[in-house]
Amino acid sequence: MYVYDTLDKEFLADRASEFREQVGRRLSGEITEDQFKAIRLMNGLYLQLHAYMLRVAIPYGALDARQMRKLAEIARTYDKGYGHFTTRTNLQFHWIKLADAPDILDELASVDMHAIQTSGNCIRNVTADPFAGATAEEVDDPRVWAEAMRQWSSLHPEFSFLPRKFKIAVTASPKDRTAAKVHDIGLVMKRARDGTLGFEVIVGGGMGRTPYVGSTIREFLPAARLVSYLEAVLRVYNRHGRRDNIYKARIKILVAALGAEEFGRQVEAEWAQIGPESDLPDTELARIRSAFAPTAFETLPARSEAFEAAKAADKALARFARNNVKPHKKPGYAIVEVSLKAIGETPGDASADQMDVIADLAERYGQNDIRVTHEQNLVLPHVKLDDVPAVHAALAAAGIASANINLITDIIACPGLDYCALANARAIPIAQDIAEHFRDQDRAEDVGELKIKISGCINACGHHHVGHIGILGVDKKGEEFYQLSLGGSGAEDAAVGQILGPALPAHRVAEAVDTLVEVYLRERSAGERFLDTFRRTGAAPFKEAVYAGAH
Amino acid sequence: MPALIRFEGGRMTAVDDPFTEIADDEGMAPGDVIISLTRFQAEGERLLAEGRSVGVRLEPAEEVEALAYDLPRIALVALAFPKYRDGRAYTSARLLRERCGYKGEVRAVGEVLREQAQFMVRCGVDAFAPADGSSAEEWEQASRRFRHVYQRASDGRAPAFAERGE
Amino acid sequence: MKALTANRLTDGEVVFWNQGRWVERFADAELFAEAGPGETAEGHAKAQPTVVIEPYLIDLIEAGELWAPLSYRERLRALGPTNRLDHGKQVEGGDVVEALQHASGAARSTGRVNLIKRK
Repeated sequence: MYVYDTLDKEFLADRASEFREQVGRRLSGEITEDQFKAIRLMNGLYLQLHAYMLRVAIPYGALDARQMRKLAEIARTYDKGYGHFTTRTNLQFHWIKLADAPDILDELASVDMHAIQTSGNCIRNVTADPFAGATAEEVDDPRVWAEAMRQWSSLHPEFSFLPRKFKIAVTASPKDRTAAKVHDIGLVMKRARDGTLGFEVIVGGGMGRTPYVGSTIREFLPAARLVSYLEAVLRVYNRHGRRDNIYKARIKILVAALGAEEFGRQVEAEWAQIGPESDLPDTELARIRSAFAPTAFETLPARSEAFEAAKAADKALARFARNNVKPHKKPGYAIVEVSLKAIGETPGDASADQMDVIADLAERYGQNDIRVTHEQNLVLPHVKLDDVPAVHAALAAAGIASANINLITDIIACPGLDYCALANARAIPIAQDIAEHFRDQDRAEDVGELKIKISGCINACGHHHVGHIGILGVDKKGEEFYQLSLGGSGAEDAAVGQILGPALPAHRVAEAVDTLVEVYLRERSAGERFLDTFRRTGAAPFKEAVYAGAH
Repeated sequence: MPALIRFEGGRMTAVDDPFTEIADDEGMAPGDVIISLTRFQAEGERLLAEGRSVGVRLEPAEEVEALAYDLPRIALVALAFPKYRDGRAYTSARLLRERCGYKGEVRAVGEVLREQAQFMVRCGVDAFAPADGSSAEEWEQASRRFRHVYQRASDGRAPAFAERGE
Repeated sequence: MKALTANRLTDGEVVFWNQGRWVERFADAELFAEAGPGETAEGHAKAQPTVVIEPYLIDLIEAGELWAPLSYRERLRALGPTNRLDHGKQVEGGDVVEALQHASGAARSTGRVNLIKRK
């Protein structure tokens, strides 16, 4: 974890005190709701259907035990005892009172947390690989760069009133766990032949009403030039991005209108003028790197006899190991994914008690490190193989040991019409329906990797465009209908899904997913995932099966 | 005379504004005036020859580069914020200061609220026509709210990484 | 038939208008059979910017013997989220809550008179 110094702490304290004053001005009537809305949104405070919602930033999805316990405490004190982890790796509290919001920001600041830029037309929370620092795949620790971007983007004087929101993802692994290609900017770290570090810069990806996979505008940006290059991209966007139509204001529309090549040319021209003066000095990059509290790994054998024996004796643990335990860069260690997708529960929700359990486990077994994934799950990135059985047992006792990572029941869903003021239809009950339908874990494992992503409106917070099966809620003559799309992916093989056919009523969705799965099981060749089969066969067999008998 | 706040020597001060803003469809007034870029391109030469001070108002879509050669004889550049949320003028301000080396007054006009104070000051704006009735004291407080900043900008303030290096 | 609703400024709670007061339960809302009185009440409500946010009239339909908001979205506001029946106004139960839970038909977009974009 990056350890905040006095400057970082004072910055958060100043922000909290500013917001307290602004809330005071609103409550006293000194400023109107319209004026206040822009202010509260810059602090992640929305008005939803039932109450205010506070979106707490979890920078690049990294938390320590103390921070997780604070979130649990806030959930108990100011909310209804739970929180919702989002696809931006943030945490939303859904039942917040405006009058409490300043106190909550103070509480957050006390553990180096905040809600800055979790909303509004600014640079949002940066997403980084949740396996950062733990996977052998990476060429560098992307958190260093994510933290540099957190600082650079915080209250940026020039880029706080952009045409629209702006999302950046950074990964240093070829296997993309950040959805980099569907971000406004996706940064993929690479090492050049001479050993120098750099970024492939991908711009103009995005979801929403007009989904795009981003285009590479620079194959290799020397890592130390990151900030100046970002300034150039943002400046071209700030000047030329559309502001006349909210649905055409994201950078993807500008990139598509100009063409990636021309956009890239404009960025390079601007970058040449900006020069290296805006870049972070190497000393600061080194400081950030060293401010990540070092992880002390023991020298262990690659194989843990205790773990192997426990797996042999416990089927549930063996299943958990197959699906939720991933290889670590250090022998004898593992990355443990904690699914927040228990069958029948709300995807991404965690109770305060569950948060405390995770905090305890991180402290006791996981080097005090917790990550949030954009797929709404949690990660304990550094667990000794010897300790996995104990971690599994504790998770099981807390109801968060579902062994379903990347399986059909590991569904992303936005809060939808149950909470959100923008939604057209509910998303959570559809996820619950599908999960119930695939409750049989053997079957789910047989089906293998299948990413279902559900959004309750076209804004696509549930990433439906990049679901292997995407589900979009629509309002059709007053009723909730769901449009299915197939073949999307948010990973390194990113693609936007194709709409399968006419939208279906809510009660037919789980059954339609079942039909799609049956087609896949029938058509698949050895080793093919659902996505691979779909890409090989095309939509026809799937479409035929789902709409057979429809007139 | 409309309220104007000027940022000088680290302080915010309420001042009298000697300039009259002239819309494109209005007749010319005597004295110091602020006119649109279009009007400046048509009438600027003549007005300057009359010995008056002339300011140019730039809309967000108008590029500061269009003024580059005229900057030495312009008394002020008024950057329009038609809406609070329209952030293009922040870039304009930085380019005026950092790329064009403009030393004259850069004024924010339009929907100018004290919430923007720090952003504006950091981008090099040094005069403000607030739309929320806020006072010079309130602007000063708002512009000094944060003890630390994280980026280099036009104001020369030391960013956190420089403070840390000290 | 219409009712007048808003969210309360201090806590965001869904509230309904009744004779100049704001009440938390839809069951206690004043019902407007005529357009005139409803709009008058809306005018009064809009003059309370430090009490409520963006008050608006909603359309109602008959649900059994009772009235319910026409739109699904408004019924959710009057009840609470369907994924957590232990949260929100629905916890209290009673005839009106039950009627709302069983009301059917109608759009989010048709029930909100003078629809305002909201975030």
